[in-house]
Amino acid sequence: MNVIETENLSKTFRVKQKEKGIAGSMRSIFHPQTQEIPAVNHISFQVEEGEMLAFIGPNGAGKSTTIKMLTGILYPDGGRAEVLGLDPSRKRKQLAYKIGTVFGQKEQLWTHLTPYDNFRFFSAVYDLPDREAEARIQELSDTFELSGFINTPVRNLSLGQRIRCEIVASLIHRPRILFLDEPTIGLDPVVKENIRSLIRQMNRELHTTIFLTSHDIGDIEKLCKRIIIVNNGQIVLDDSMSHLKYHYLNRKILEIKQQEETPLPSAKGITVLKQNGSHIKLEVDTGIIRINDALRLINAEHVEDITISNVPLENIITEIYKSADIGA
Amino acid sequence: MRKYAVIYRSVLMENLQYAMNIAFGFISYFIFIYVFICLWNYMYASPEELIAGYTKEQMIWYVMITEGMWFGTRSGTVTRQAATDIRNGNIAYLMNKPYHYTLYILTKYTAEWGIRLPMYAALSISMGLTMVGRLPGFRLVSLLATLPVILLGITINAVFKLCISLISFWIEDSNPFQWIYDKLILVIGTIFPVEIFPAALQPVFRLTPIYTVCYGPAKLVVDFSWEKFLEIVAAQIIYLAVGCGLMFFLYGKGVKKLHVNGG
Repeated sequence: MNVIETENLSKTFRVKQKEKGIAGSMRSIFHPQTQEIPAVNHISFQVEEGEMLAFIGPNGAGKSTTIKMLTGILYPDGGRAEVLGLDPSRKRKQLAYKIGTVFGQKEQLWTHLTPYDNFRFFSAVYDLPDREAEARIQELSDTFELSGFINTPVRNLSLGQRIRCEIVASLIHRPRILFLDEPTIGLDPVVKENIRSLIRQMNRELHTTIFLTSHDIGDIEKLCKRIIIVNNGQIVLDDSMSHLKYHYLNRKILEIKQQEETPLPSAKGITVLKQNGSHIKLEVDTGIIRINDALRLINAEHVEDITISNVPLENIITEIYKSADIGA
Repeated sequence: MRKYAVIYRSVLMENLQYAMNIAFGFISYFIFIYVFICLWNYMYASPEELIAGYTKEQMIWYVMITEGMWFGTRSGTVTRQAATDIRNGNIAYLMNKPYHYTLYILTKYTAEWGIRLPMYAALSISMGLTMVGRLPGFRLVSLLATLPVILLGITINAVFKLCISLISFWIEDSNPFQWIYDKLILVIGTIFPVEIFPAALQPVFRLTPIYTVCYGPAKLVVDFSWEKFLEIVAAQIIYLAVGCGLMFFLYGKGVKKLHVNGG
Protein backbone atom coordinates (compact mmCIF):
# COMPACT_ATOMS: atom_id res chain seq x y z
CA MET A 1 0.00 0.00 0.00
CA ASN A 2 1.37 3.41 -0.98
CA VAL A 3 1.51 5.94 1.83
CA ILE A 4 3.06 8.70 -0.29
CA GLU A 5 2.23 9.45 -3.90
CA THR A 6 3.39 12.39 -5.97
CA GLU A 7 2.66 13.10 -9.59
CA ASN A 8 4.44 15.90 -11.45
CA LEU A 9 4.86 17.75 -8.18
CA SER A 10 6.35 21.20 -8.80
CA LYS A 11 7.28 24.29 -6.86
CA THR A 12 8.82 27.48 -8.19
CA PHE A 13 10.24 30.22 -6.01
CA ARG A 14 10.29 33.82 -7.14
CA VAL A 15 13.56 35.32 -5.95
CA LYS A 16 14.32 39.04 -5.94
CA GLN A 17 17.20 40.16 -8.12
CA LYS A 18 19.18 43.35 -7.70
CA GLU A 19 21.83 44.91 -9.88
CA LYS A 20 25.11 45.70 -8.15
CA GLY A 21 25.91 48.95 -6.40
CA ILE A 22 23.81 51.83 -5.07
CA ALA A 23 22.43 52.63 -8.52
CA GLY A 24 21.21 49.04 -8.76
CA SER A 25 19.61 49.33 -5.34
CA MET A 26 17.81 52.54 -6.38
CA ARG A 27 16.63 50.96 -9.64
CA SER A 28 15.29 47.93 -7.78
CA ILE A 29 13.00 50.22 -5.73
CA PHE A 30 11.18 51.45 -8.83
CA HIS A 31 11.66 48.43 -11.09
CA PRO A 32 11.86 45.38 -8.83
CA GLN A 33 13.09 42.37 -10.73
CA THR A 34 12.48 38.78 -9.83
CA GLN A 35 13.73 35.51 -11.14
CA GLU A 36 11.74 32.31 -11.10
CA ILE A 37 13.67 29.35 -9.78
CA PRO A 38 12.11 25.92 -10.16
CA ALA A 39 12.94 24.26 -6.82
CA VAL A 40 10.99 21.09 -7.59
CA ASN A 41 10.30 20.27 -11.19
CA HIS A 42 7.64 17.65 -12.02
CA ILE A 43 8.71 14.89 -9.71
CA SER A 44 6.70 11.69 -9.40
CA PHE A 45 7.29 8.80 -7.01
CA GLN A 46 5.50 6.47 -4.60
CA VAL A 47 6.50 5.20 -1.18
CA GLU A 48 5.08 2.03 0.31
CA GLU A 49 4.10 1.61 3.93
CA GLY A 50 7.03 0.52 6.09
CA GLU A 51 9.67 1.55 3.54
CA MET A 52 12.90 3.26 4.59
CA LEU A 53 13.64 5.72 1.83
CA ALA A 54 16.64 8.00 1.39
CA PHE A 55 15.71 11.15 -0.48
CA ILE A 56 19.02 12.80 -1.19
CA GLY A 57 20.68 15.39 -3.36
CA PRO A 58 23.16 18.25 -3.21
CA ASN A 59 22.30 21.55 -1.53
CA GLY A 60 19.51 23.33 -3.35
CA ALA A 61 18.38 20.16 -5.14
CA GLY A 62 14.81 20.44 -3.85
CA LYS A 63 14.80 17.76 -1.12
CA SER A 64 13.58 19.88 1.76
CA THR A 65 11.12 21.73 -0.47
CA THR A 66 9.65 18.34 -1.36
CA ILE A 67 9.44 17.34 2.32
CA LYS A 68 7.77 20.65 3.10
CA MET A 69 5.19 20.07 0.38
CA LEU A 70 4.58 16.53 1.63
CA THR A 71 4.03 17.78 5.17
CA GLY A 72 1.70 20.58 4.03
CA ILE A 73 4.02 23.45 4.89
CA LEU A 74 4.46 24.62 1.30
CA TYR A 75 1.77 24.77 -1.36
CA PRO A 76 2.76 23.11 -4.65
CA ASP A 77 2.51 25.20 -7.82
CA GLY A 78 1.66 22.18 -9.90
CA GLY A 79 1.13 18.46 -9.80
CA ARG A 80 -0.37 16.36 -7.08
CA ALA A 81 0.77 15.03 -3.70
CA GLU A 82 -1.06 12.60 -1.49
CA VAL A 83 0.17 11.46 1.90
CA LEU A 84 -1.82 8.75 3.68
CA GLY A 85 -4.68 9.52 1.34
CA LEU A 86 -4.73 13.23 2.21
CA ASP A 87 -3.79 16.31 0.22
CA PRO A 88 -1.10 17.79 2.52
CA SER A 89 -1.71 21.46 1.71
CA ARG A 90 -5.49 21.22 2.12
CA LYS A 91 -5.56 18.85 5.09
CA ARG A 92 -2.41 19.93 6.91
CA LYS A 93 -3.91 19.77 10.40
CA GLN A 94 -5.53 16.37 9.81
CA LEU A 95 -2.27 15.05 8.36
CA ALA A 96 -0.22 16.38 11.27
CA TYR A 97 -1.85 13.75 13.53
CA LYS A 98 -0.53 10.98 11.28
CA ILE A 99 3.01 12.09 10.50
CA GLY A 100 6.07 13.10 12.50
CA THR A 101 8.87 15.43 11.46
CA VAL A 102 12.40 15.87 12.75
CA PHE A 103 14.46 18.70 11.31
CA GLY A 104 17.99 18.19 12.59
CA GLN A 105 18.84 21.86 12.19
CA LYS A 106 15.71 23.19 13.90
CA GLU A 107 14.63 22.65 17.46
CA GLN A 108 11.02 21.88 18.13
CA LEU A 109 11.53 21.31 21.84
CA TRP A 110 11.07 24.13 24.32
CA THR A 111 14.58 24.60 25.63
CA HIS A 112 13.69 25.88 29.10
CA LEU A 113 11.41 22.94 29.81
CA THR A 114 12.48 19.40 30.63
CA PRO A 115 12.03 16.62 28.04
CA TYR A 116 9.19 15.25 30.19
CA ASP A 117 7.32 18.60 30.17
CA ASN A 118 7.95 18.84 26.43
CA PHE A 119 6.51 15.37 25.86
CA ARG A 120 3.44 16.25 27.92
CA PHE A 121 3.11 19.40 25.83
CA PHE A 122 3.28 17.49 22.53
CA SER A 123 0.89 14.83 23.89
CA ALA A 124 -1.67 17.57 24.52
CA VAL A 125 -1.05 19.14 21.12
CA TYR A 126 -1.81 15.76 19.54
CA ASP A 127 -4.88 15.27 21.79
CA LEU A 128 -3.56 12.24 23.64
CA PRO A 129 -5.49 11.48 26.85
CA ASP A 130 -3.38 11.90 30.04
CA ARG A 131 -3.14 8.20 30.86
CA GLU A 132 -2.16 7.25 27.31
CA ALA A 133 0.38 10.09 27.20
CA GLU A 134 1.99 8.92 30.42
CA ALA A 135 2.24 5.34 29.16
CA ARG A 136 3.62 6.48 25.81
CA ILE A 137 6.28 8.69 27.43
CA GLN A 138 7.35 5.78 29.63
CA GLU A 139 7.51 3.43 26.64
CA LEU A 140 9.56 5.83 24.50
CA SER A 141 11.75 6.83 27.41
CA ASP A 142 12.67 3.14 27.87
CA THR A 143 13.26 2.57 24.16
CA PHE A 144 15.38 5.69 23.70
CA GLU A 145 17.01 5.40 27.15
CA LEU A 146 16.04 8.87 28.35
CA SER A 147 15.55 8.11 32.04
CA GLY A 148 18.89 9.67 33.01
CA PHE A 149 17.99 13.13 31.72
CA ILE A 150 14.22 13.23 31.25
CA ASN A 151 13.91 15.82 34.03
CA THR A 152 16.85 18.00 32.95
CA PRO A 153 15.99 21.22 31.06
CA VAL A 154 16.57 20.71 27.34
CA ARG A 155 19.04 23.62 27.19
CA ASN A 156 21.39 21.62 29.43
CA LEU A 157 21.36 18.46 27.29
CA SER A 158 24.09 17.37 24.90
CA LEU A 159 23.31 17.45 21.16
CA GLY A 160 22.91 13.66 21.03
CA GLN A 161 20.52 13.66 23.98
CA ARG A 162 18.56 16.50 22.44
CA ILE A 163 18.18 14.75 19.08
CA ARG A 164 16.92 11.63 20.87
CA CYS A 165 14.35 13.80 22.63
CA GLU A 166 13.43 15.50 19.32
CA ILE A 167 12.73 12.09 17.78
CA VAL A 168 10.69 11.00 20.81
CA ALA A 169 8.65 14.23 20.59
CA SER A 170 7.90 13.39 16.96
CA LEU A 171 6.84 9.86 17.84
CA ILE A 172 4.59 10.66 20.78
CA HIS A 173 1.43 10.40 18.66
CA ARG A 174 2.47 7.15 16.91
CA PRO A 175 2.93 8.65 13.42
CA ARG A 176 2.71 6.30 10.47
CA ILE A 177 5.36 8.24 8.53
CA LEU A 178 8.41 9.91 10.00
CA PHE A 179 10.11 12.61 7.93
CA LEU A 180 13.73 12.96 9.02
CA ASP A 181 15.62 15.92 7.63
CA GLU A 182 19.31 15.52 8.51
CA PRO A 183 18.62 13.85 11.86
CA THR A 184 22.27 13.07 12.66
CA ILE A 185 23.83 16.39 11.67
CA GLY A 186 26.61 17.40 14.06
CA LEU A 187 26.55 14.17 16.06
CA ASP A 188 29.60 12.09 16.92
CA PRO A 189 29.91 8.59 15.34
CA VAL A 190 28.79 6.73 18.48
CA VAL A 191 25.62 8.80 18.92
CA LYS A 192 24.95 8.60 15.17
CA GLU A 193 25.05 4.84 15.32
CA ASN A 194 22.79 4.87 18.36
CA ILE A 195 20.22 7.07 16.57
CA ARG A 196 20.37 4.89 13.46
CA SER A 197 19.77 1.72 15.46
CA LEU A 198 16.75 3.36 17.15
CA ILE A 199 15.33 4.38 13.78
CA ARG A 200 15.81 0.83 12.49
CA GLN A 201 14.13 -0.58 15.59
CA MET A 202 11.20 1.81 15.19
CA ASN A 203 10.76 0.78 11.57
CA ARG A 204 10.97 -2.92 12.40
CA GLU A 205 8.71 -2.92 15.45
CA LEU A 206 6.19 -0.22 14.61
CA HIS A 207 6.35 -0.51 10.83
CA THR A 208 6.84 3.26 10.65
CA THR A 209 7.66 4.52 7.16
CA ILE A 210 10.92 6.48 7.18
CA PHE A 211 11.49 9.31 4.71
CA LEU A 212 15.06 10.43 5.24
CA THR A 213 17.12 13.25 3.80
CA SER A 214 20.74 13.40 4.82
CA HIS A 215 24.16 14.31 3.51
CA ASP A 216 25.62 11.59 5.71
CA ILE A 217 26.29 8.56 3.54
CA GLY A 218 26.40 6.39 6.68
CA ASP A 219 22.75 7.26 7.42
CA ILE A 220 21.74 6.33 3.91
CA GLU A 221 23.81 3.17 3.65
CA LYS A 222 22.92 1.80 7.07
CA LEU A 223 19.24 2.70 7.16
CA CYS A 224 17.70 2.77 3.73
CA LYS A 225 16.77 0.06 1.28
CA ARG A 226 15.73 2.50 -1.42
CA ILE A 227 17.31 5.71 -2.63
CA ILE A 228 15.92 8.61 -4.62
CA ILE A 229 18.48 11.13 -5.82
CA VAL A 230 17.26 14.57 -6.83
CA ASN A 231 19.19 17.31 -8.51
CA ASN A 232 18.01 20.63 -9.94
CA GLY A 233 14.51 19.77 -8.74
CA GLN A 234 14.29 16.53 -10.73
CA ILE A 235 14.66 12.88 -9.87
CA VAL A 236 17.88 11.59 -11.39
CA LEU A 237 17.82 8.14 -9.82
CA ASP A 238 15.21 6.02 -8.08
CA ASP A 239 16.64 2.62 -7.24
CA SER A 240 17.09 0.07 -4.51
CA MET A 241 20.25 0.42 -2.47
CA SER A 242 21.36 -3.12 -3.33
CA HIS A 243 20.88 -2.50 -7.06
CA LEU A 244 22.74 0.79 -6.84
CA LYS A 245 25.66 -0.88 -5.13
CA TYR A 246 25.67 -3.81 -7.55
CA HIS A 247 25.50 -1.48 -10.52
CA TYR A 248 28.23 0.86 -9.38
CA LEU A 249 30.42 -1.46 -7.34
CA ASN A 250 31.84 -3.19 -10.39
CA ARG A 251 34.68 -0.74 -9.90
CA LYS A 252 37.36 -1.58 -7.36
CA ILE A 253 40.00 0.62 -5.82
CA LEU A 254 43.50 -0.91 -5.72
CA GLU A 255 46.00 0.67 -3.37
CA ILE A 256 49.52 -0.67 -3.76
CA LYS A 257 52.60 0.13 -1.73
CA GLN A 258 55.81 -1.00 -3.45
CA GLN A 259 59.42 -1.28 -2.33
CA GLU A 260 60.51 0.86 -5.25
CA GLU A 261 58.90 2.82 -8.07
CA THR A 262 57.90 0.60 -11.03
CA PRO A 263 56.19 1.36 -14.35
CA LEU A 264 52.46 1.88 -13.99
CA PRO A 265 50.21 -0.94 -15.22
CA SER A 266 48.44 0.08 -18.39
CA ALA A 267 45.34 -1.59 -19.79
CA LYS A 268 41.82 -0.74 -20.80
CA GLY A 269 39.67 -0.52 -17.66
CA ILE A 270 42.49 0.64 -15.38
CA THR A 271 42.63 4.27 -14.34
CA VAL A 272 45.46 5.70 -12.27
CA LEU A 273 43.88 7.81 -9.56
CA LYS A 274 47.02 8.82 -7.71
CA GLN A 275 50.74 8.15 -7.75
CA ASN A 276 53.07 9.20 -5.00
CA GLY A 277 56.47 7.62 -5.59
CA SER A 278 56.12 3.93 -4.90
CA HIS A 279 52.56 4.35 -3.64
CA ILE A 280 49.88 4.04 -6.36
CA LYS A 281 46.10 4.09 -6.36
CA LEU A 282 44.21 2.56 -9.28
CA GLU A 283 40.57 2.17 -10.21
CA VAL A 284 39.74 -1.08 -11.97
CA ASP A 285 36.53 -1.46 -13.94
CA THR A 286 35.82 -5.18 -13.47
CA GLY A 287 33.30 -5.02 -16.29
CA ILE A 288 36.24 -4.48 -18.67
CA ILE A 289 39.13 -6.22 -16.96
CA ARG A 290 39.00 -8.91 -14.29
CA ILE A 291 40.63 -8.00 -11.01
CA ASN A 292 43.11 -10.91 -11.18
CA ASP A 293 44.12 -9.83 -14.69
CA ALA A 294 44.75 -6.36 -13.36
CA LEU A 295 46.82 -7.80 -10.50
CA ARG A 296 48.95 -9.74 -12.98
CA LEU A 297 50.03 -6.43 -14.54
CA ILE A 298 51.67 -5.46 -11.27
CA ASN A 299 55.15 -6.67 -10.49
CA ALA A 300 54.44 -8.88 -7.48
CA GLU A 301 58.08 -9.01 -6.38
CA HIS A 302 58.08 -5.34 -5.41
CA VAL A 303 54.69 -5.28 -3.67
CA GLU A 304 54.95 -4.47 0.02
CA ASP A 305 51.24 -4.08 0.75
CA ILE A 306 48.03 -4.19 -1.27
CA THR A 307 44.42 -3.21 -0.50
CA ILE A 308 41.34 -3.87 -2.65
CA SER A 309 38.20 -1.94 -1.77
CA ASN A 310 34.91 -0.87 -3.24
CA VAL A 311 34.38 2.65 -4.53
CA PRO A 312 32.89 4.54 -1.55
CA LEU A 313 29.16 5.14 -1.86
CA GLU A 314 29.90 8.83 -1.33
CA ASN A 315 31.91 8.89 -4.57
CA ILE A 316 29.16 7.06 -6.42
CA ILE A 317 26.58 9.57 -5.31
CA THR A 318 28.84 12.52 -6.11
CA GLU A 319 29.31 11.05 -9.58
CA ILE A 320 25.55 10.76 -10.04
CA TYR A 321 25.11 14.38 -8.93
CA LYS A 322 27.77 15.49 -11.40
CA SER A 323 26.38 13.47 -14.29
CA ALA A 324 22.96 14.96 -13.59
CA ASP A 325 24.48 18.45 -13.64
CA ILE A 326 26.05 17.75 -17.02
CA GLY A 327 22.74 16.36 -18.28
CA ALA A 328 20.97 19.50 -17.12
CA MET B 1 -9.07 24.17 23.65
CA ARG B 2 -7.07 21.80 25.88
CA LYS B 3 -3.99 22.11 23.67
CA TYR B 4 -4.06 25.91 23.93
CA ALA B 5 -4.40 25.62 27.71
CA VAL B 6 -1.28 23.41 27.70
CA ILE B 7 0.58 25.92 25.48
CA TYR B 8 -0.42 28.62 27.99
CA ARG B 9 0.80 26.51 30.92
CA SER B 10 4.10 25.66 29.19
CA VAL B 11 4.89 29.30 28.40
CA LEU B 12 3.94 30.27 31.93
CA MET B 13 6.36 27.63 33.30
CA GLU B 14 9.06 28.85 30.95
CA ASN B 15 8.58 32.52 31.78
CA LEU B 16 8.37 32.07 35.52
CA GLN B 17 12.13 31.68 35.35
CA TYR B 18 12.36 35.26 34.15
CA ALA B 19 10.35 36.87 36.97
CA MET B 20 13.48 38.67 38.20
CA ASN B 21 14.22 40.01 34.71
CA ILE B 22 10.69 41.41 34.56
CA ALA B 23 11.25 43.12 37.89
CA PHE B 24 14.23 44.99 36.42
CA GLY B 25 11.81 46.61 33.96
CA PHE B 26 10.14 48.29 36.95
CA ILE B 27 12.92 50.89 36.98
CA SER B 28 11.96 52.42 33.62
CA TYR B 29 8.27 52.26 34.53
CA PHE B 30 8.98 54.06 37.81
CA ILE B 31 10.97 56.83 36.06
CA PHE B 32 8.29 57.23 33.40
CA ILE B 33 5.48 57.56 35.93
CA TYR B 34 7.51 59.87 38.14
CA VAL B 35 8.04 62.26 35.20
CA PHE B 36 4.31 62.24 34.46
CA ILE B 37 3.38 62.87 38.08
CA CYS B 38 5.70 65.91 38.05
CA LEU B 39 4.28 67.05 34.71
CA TRP B 40 0.62 66.86 35.77
CA ASN B 41 1.41 68.40 39.18
CA TYR B 42 2.83 71.36 37.24
CA MET B 43 -0.06 71.48 34.74
CA TYR B 44 -2.81 71.49 37.36
CA ALA B 45 -2.80 74.93 39.02
CA SER B 46 -5.17 73.86 41.78
CA PRO B 47 -6.41 70.44 43.05
CA GLU B 48 -10.00 71.24 41.96
CA GLU B 49 -9.10 72.16 38.40
CA LEU B 50 -10.33 69.92 35.57
CA ILE B 51 -8.41 69.33 32.36
CA ALA B 52 -10.46 67.71 29.58
CA GLY B 53 -12.89 66.61 32.28
CA TYR B 54 -10.26 64.86 34.44
CA THR B 55 -9.15 65.79 37.95
CA LYS B 56 -5.42 65.64 38.67
CA GLU B 57 -5.76 62.29 40.49
CA GLN B 58 -7.86 60.84 37.67
CA MET B 59 -5.34 62.03 35.07
CA ILE B 60 -2.35 60.53 36.89
CA TRP B 61 -4.17 57.25 37.64
CA TYR B 62 -5.24 57.13 33.98
CA VAL B 63 -1.61 57.34 32.84
CA MET B 64 -0.49 54.82 35.45
CA ILE B 65 -3.14 52.31 34.30
CA THR B 66 -2.44 52.70 30.58
CA GLU B 67 1.34 52.66 31.13
CA GLY B 68 0.97 49.64 33.40
CA MET B 69 -0.88 47.88 30.57
CA TRP B 70 1.76 49.03 28.08
CA PHE B 71 4.73 47.82 30.12
CA GLY B 72 2.91 44.73 31.43
CA THR B 73 2.05 43.43 27.96
CA ARG B 74 5.26 44.39 26.20
CA SER B 75 6.62 41.41 24.27
CA GLY B 76 8.10 40.69 20.87
CA THR B 77 6.08 37.50 20.39
CA VAL B 78 3.26 38.97 18.30
CA THR B 79 5.46 41.56 16.63
CA ARG B 80 9.16 41.00 16.01
CA GLN B 81 9.11 37.25 16.62
CA ALA B 82 6.11 36.50 14.39
CA ALA B 83 7.47 38.71 11.59
CA THR B 84 10.91 37.10 11.83
CA ASP B 85 9.38 33.61 11.81
CA ILE B 86 7.64 34.47 8.54
CA ARG B 87 10.65 36.15 6.94
CA ASN B 88 13.22 33.49 7.76
CA GLY B 89 10.86 30.56 7.23
CA ASN B 90 10.92 29.39 10.84
CA ILE B 91 7.13 29.44 10.72
CA ALA B 92 7.38 26.22 8.69
CA TYR B 93 8.49 24.37 11.80
CA LEU B 94 5.69 25.81 13.91
CA MET B 95 2.77 25.30 11.57
CA ASN B 96 3.24 21.58 10.96
CA LYS B 97 1.53 20.76 14.23
CA PRO B 98 -2.20 20.26 14.72
CA TYR B 99 -2.89 23.75 16.05
CA HIS B 100 -3.57 27.05 14.37
CA TYR B 101 -0.36 29.09 14.18
CA THR B 102 -2.03 32.44 14.97
CA LEU B 103 -3.84 31.04 18.01
CA TYR B 104 -0.60 29.41 19.12
CA ILE B 105 1.18 32.79 18.97
CA LEU B 106 -1.68 34.58 20.75
CA THR B 107 -1.74 31.92 23.48
CA LYS B 108 2.01 32.24 23.95
CA TYR B 109 1.68 36.00 24.18
CA THR B 110 -1.21 35.74 26.65
CA ALA B 111 0.86 33.49 28.90
CA GLU B 112 3.74 35.98 28.74
CA TRP B 113 1.66 38.91 29.93
CA GLY B 114 -0.09 36.57 32.35
CA ILE B 115 3.03 36.91 34.48
CA ARG B 116 4.12 40.46 33.62
CA LEU B 117 0.79 42.27 33.91
CA PRO B 118 -0.06 41.25 37.51
CA MET B 119 3.45 42.33 38.55
CA TYR B 120 3.01 45.74 36.89
CA ALA B 121 -0.53 46.03 38.28
CA ALA B 122 0.81 45.51 41.80
CA LEU B 123 3.53 48.11 41.19
CA SER B 124 1.05 50.62 39.69
CA ILE B 125 -1.34 50.28 42.63
CA SER B 126 1.48 50.63 45.18
CA MET B 127 2.93 53.68 43.42
CA GLY B 128 -0.50 55.24 42.93
CA LEU B 129 -1.54 54.85 46.56
CA THR B 130 1.74 56.18 47.94
CA MET B 131 2.45 58.97 45.44
CA VAL B 132 -1.01 60.12 44.31
CA GLY B 133 -3.51 58.87 46.87
CA ARG B 134 -6.84 57.09 46.48
CA LEU B 135 -8.81 57.58 43.30
CA PRO B 136 -11.84 59.77 44.07
CA GLY B 137 -15.16 57.94 43.68
CA PHE B 138 -13.44 54.59 43.11
CA ARG B 139 -15.51 51.46 43.76
CA LEU B 140 -14.15 47.93 43.79
CA VAL B 141 -17.15 46.68 41.81
CA SER B 142 -16.28 48.99 38.92
CA LEU B 143 -12.73 47.57 38.85
CA LEU B 144 -14.13 44.01 38.74
CA ALA B 145 -16.43 45.01 35.86
CA THR B 146 -13.47 46.63 34.09
CA LEU B 147 -11.22 43.53 34.30
CA PRO B 148 -12.78 41.77 31.27
CA VAL B 149 -12.58 45.08 29.38
CA ILE B 150 -8.83 45.25 30.14
CA LEU B 151 -8.35 41.65 28.98
CA LEU B 152 -10.34 42.30 25.80
CA GLY B 153 -8.33 45.49 25.16
CA ILE B 154 -5.03 43.62 25.44
CA THR B 155 -6.29 40.83 23.18
CA ILE B 156 -7.53 43.26 20.51
CA ASN B 157 -4.15 45.01 20.59
CA ALA B 158 -2.35 41.65 20.18
CA VAL B 159 -4.62 40.62 17.28
CA PHE B 160 -3.97 43.87 15.39
CA LYS B 161 -0.22 43.68 16.06
CA LEU B 162 -0.20 40.10 14.78
CA CYS B 163 -2.13 41.23 11.69
CA ILE B 164 0.64 43.77 11.01
CA SER B 165 3.27 41.03 11.47
CA LEU B 166 1.39 38.79 9.03
CA ILE B 167 1.95 41.44 6.32
CA SER B 168 5.52 40.06 6.32
CA PHE B 169 4.23 37.36 3.99
CA TRP B 170 4.14 40.07 1.30
CA ILE B 171 6.65 42.74 2.33
CA GLU B 172 10.25 42.57 3.49
CA ASP B 173 9.81 44.39 6.78
CA SER B 174 6.63 45.05 8.74
CA ASN B 175 8.44 46.84 11.57
CA PRO B 176 7.76 50.39 10.25
CA PHE B 177 4.01 49.67 10.31
CA GLN B 178 4.37 48.20 13.78
CA TRP B 179 6.20 51.34 14.87
CA ILE B 180 3.46 53.66 13.53
CA TYR B 181 0.71 51.60 15.21
CA ASP B 182 2.65 51.53 18.50
CA LYS B 183 3.23 55.26 18.52
CA LEU B 184 -0.41 56.00 17.71
CA ILE B 185 -1.50 53.83 20.62
CA LEU B 186 1.12 55.42 22.85
CA VAL B 187 0.23 59.04 22.10
CA ILE B 188 -3.52 58.70 21.60
CA GLY B 189 -4.95 56.89 24.54
CA THR B 190 -1.90 55.84 26.56
CA ILE B 191 -0.04 58.98 27.55
CA PHE B 192 -3.03 61.25 26.98
CA PRO B 193 -6.73 60.40 27.09
CA VAL B 194 -8.74 60.97 23.92
CA GLU B 195 -10.47 64.04 25.48
CA ILE B 196 -7.18 65.98 25.47
CA PHE B 197 -7.17 66.12 21.68
CA PRO B 198 -9.12 68.66 19.56
CA ALA B 199 -12.86 68.03 19.49
CA ALA B 200 -12.81 67.54 15.73
CA LEU B 201 -10.40 64.58 16.03
CA GLN B 202 -12.12 62.81 18.92
CA PRO B 203 -14.89 61.15 16.85
CA VAL B 204 -12.19 59.83 14.48
CA PHE B 205 -10.20 58.36 17.38
CA ARG B 206 -13.36 56.75 18.75
CA LEU B 207 -13.69 54.82 15.51
CA THR B 208 -10.19 53.36 15.73
CA PRO B 209 -9.08 50.31 17.74
CA ILE B 210 -7.15 52.73 20.00
CA TYR B 211 -10.46 53.57 21.66
CA THR B 212 -10.93 49.95 22.73
CA VAL B 213 -7.31 49.03 23.50
CA CYS B 214 -6.23 51.33 26.32
CA TYR B 215 -8.43 54.40 26.48
CA GLY B 216 -11.62 52.40 27.14
CA PRO B 217 -10.31 50.23 30.00
CA ALA B 218 -8.44 53.10 31.72
CA LYS B 219 -11.39 55.49 31.38
CA LEU B 220 -13.65 52.92 33.05
CA VAL B 221 -11.28 52.53 36.01
CA VAL B 222 -11.00 56.28 36.68
CA ASP B 223 -14.58 57.24 35.82
CA PHE B 224 -16.87 54.22 35.66
CA SER B 225 -20.39 54.32 34.25
CA TRP B 226 -22.50 51.42 32.99
CA GLU B 227 -23.39 53.40 29.90
CA LYS B 228 -19.70 53.84 29.05
CA PHE B 229 -19.05 50.21 29.96
CA LEU B 230 -21.62 48.90 27.47
CA GLU B 231 -20.42 51.28 24.77
CA ILE B 232 -16.80 50.16 25.15
CA VAL B 233 -17.61 46.42 25.40
CA ALA B 234 -19.77 46.64 22.25
CA ALA B 235 -16.94 48.39 20.40
CA GLN B 236 -14.47 45.78 21.70
CA ILE B 237 -16.60 42.87 20.48
CA ILE B 238 -16.85 44.45 17.02
CA TYR B 239 -13.10 45.13 16.87
CA LEU B 240 -12.22 41.66 18.13
CA ALA B 241 -14.44 40.08 15.45
CA VAL B 242 -13.02 42.35 12.73
CA GLY B 243 -9.44 41.81 13.95
CA CYS B 244 -9.76 38.01 14.15
CA GLY B 245 -11.43 37.90 10.74
CA LEU B 246 -8.58 39.95 9.30
CA MET B 247 -5.98 37.81 11.08
CA PHE B 248 -7.37 34.50 9.76
CA PHE B 249 -7.77 36.00 6.28
CA LEU B 250 -4.18 37.32 6.16
CA TYR B 251 -2.78 34.06 7.51
CA GLY B 252 -4.83 31.93 5.12
CA LYS B 253 -3.72 34.00 2.12
CA GLY B 254 -0.15 34.52 3.29
CA VAL B 255 0.66 30.93 4.08
CA LYS B 256 0.10 30.05 0.44
CA LYS B 257 2.88 32.47 -0.44
CA LEU B 258 5.29 31.07 2.12
CA HIS B 259 8.84 30.86 0.83
CA VAL B 260 11.14 28.83 3.02
CA ASN B 261 14.81 29.46 2.51
CA GLY B 262 17.43 26.80 3.03
CA GLY B 263 15.62 23.90 1.44
